[in-house]
Amino acid sequence: MKRKTNNLEGLESAPQWILMFLGAYLVVHLIALYVWNTAGRAFSIQGSSDGTSALSVTAMAAVDLWLCLLVLRSFPAGAPLRRAWMLITFAAAARAASGVLAQLLGTNWLLNPLVWAGHVKPGLIDQIRRSALIADGPVRLALLAAALLVALRVLRKFGFWVRPSTADWAVSAIVYLFTLCRFAEAGAASLAGRPIGTEDWISLAGLPVLCVLFLEAMLLRRSVVRMGNGLISMCWAAFMCGIFLTGAGELAAWVIPHYSHAWPIEMIQSLARFPIAAVFALAPACQVAAQRRARNPPNDQPEDLATGVPALVP
Amino acid sequence: MHPRSATLIAFCDAEAGAGRSRRIARHLSKCEQCRQQLLRIQSEKEELSARAAAPAIDSRPGLAAVRSAIAAWQSGRHGAAASELRARLRWQIETYFGSPAVSVVERPGIPAEEMLGRASEILEVFLGPGVAEAVKDDVFRGLDLAEPAGETCL
Repeated sequence: MKRKTNNLEGLESAPQWILMFLGAYLVVHLIALYVWNTAGRAFSIQGSSDGTSALSVTAMAAVDLWLCLLVLRSFPAGAPLRRAWMLITFAAAARAASGVLAQLLGTNWLLNPLVWAGHVKPGLIDQIRRSALIADGPVRLALLAAALLVALRVLRKFGFWVRPSTADWAVSAIVYLFTLCRFAEAGAASLAGRPIGTEDWISLAGLPVLCVLFLEAMLLRRSVVRMGNGLISMCWAAFMCGIFLTGAGELAAWVIPHYSHAWPIEMIQSLARFPIAAVFALAPACQVAAQRRARNPPNDQPEDLATGVPALVP
Repeated sequence: MHPRSATLIAFCDAEAGAGRSRRIARHLSKCEQCRQQLLRIQSEKEELSARAAAPAIDSRPGLAAVRSAIAAWQSGRHGAAASELRARLRWQIETYFGSPAVSVVERPGIPAEEMLGRASEILEVFLGPGVAEAVKDDVFRGLDLAEPAGETCL
């Protein structure tokens, strides 16, 4: 058998490129955290990491959107997974739009066209930031939940659907418990007369959707296990990992400040944000890789079987 | 002067021409040696004709064996092509989905035609119809699926 060498060229190697960027990003951020910790936390790493992380997340969201559009193009109207990919593309667009709103229009820097054109009204920047949070939070999660519902129906039709096990329910229960804790905390704060910020309300609005997504991710995990480890399976596994990371990130962002105020929470959040964006981008990248591979198949099929010619015996 | 063997063979086959045949006939009436050689040529010719007329396998069972061997070779070739088709479909499903997914499209005793239908459907749904067509083209590339007489097409 002859296998084509993988030279990281073309869209077929998009998943490898994304993983390479993710690896480099994690290495740089972990080194920064290590240096900060060994230097006795003598300097601030919040500001420097936040800007670069936000830009990286926005760039990755743009890549995600582009890859989703490529995938969507291959599913014509009426195809069972077209609706799922359309919703996934809308979710990617929501993330990219949120990045642009938050990083370009929602800041006071000079490159913001609203700033240099002099159209900034009081509170406009805050409104833009809030819109960005809503787009990247509840809206994106809801779109993703709807998309995965369609995908799960298709997986069920082909016999890939498996009932969730006790372990699946247990893992989902952690997120349900976390959601309950967040709502209880918000309720307690409200009763005590403490104000709840808009960001917190937006985050809370996304939590019930995250619970639904977690359950879908569990079902998706079982389906992917039943499928195997091919490129299509990896695509859906990436969605599943993205949802797990989103849940884990939300959980870490809530738990860490309760136990330690010494940790740079912004840095940790930014450390989590890019992997989540990269993993979500990995899903359409795997799908595109599978489609490119199908259109340009490498010469690595099994050899032809020999045709036996029977002997001339009665 | 005696005529050469080739000339005698031509005379025997009536291919020597009228004048030459008359000359050879005159010579044969006088030459015992050439008459003997002509007789030998004629007997050999008759023997060869008799062998050529008889079938290679002159018995009914022999002929039946030849026919069944041809049929077995044809169905073997067809069976091998179907087996190759199954192997290729299996490989494609493993590439795009994974080994466990093969059980969704292949069940014990499933005809290659049905397996092809199932694999096509699953590839169309998850990869898109255009891409699934490309996969099918790849599956059929160089595969000889010419049907043997009297059998169903794949």
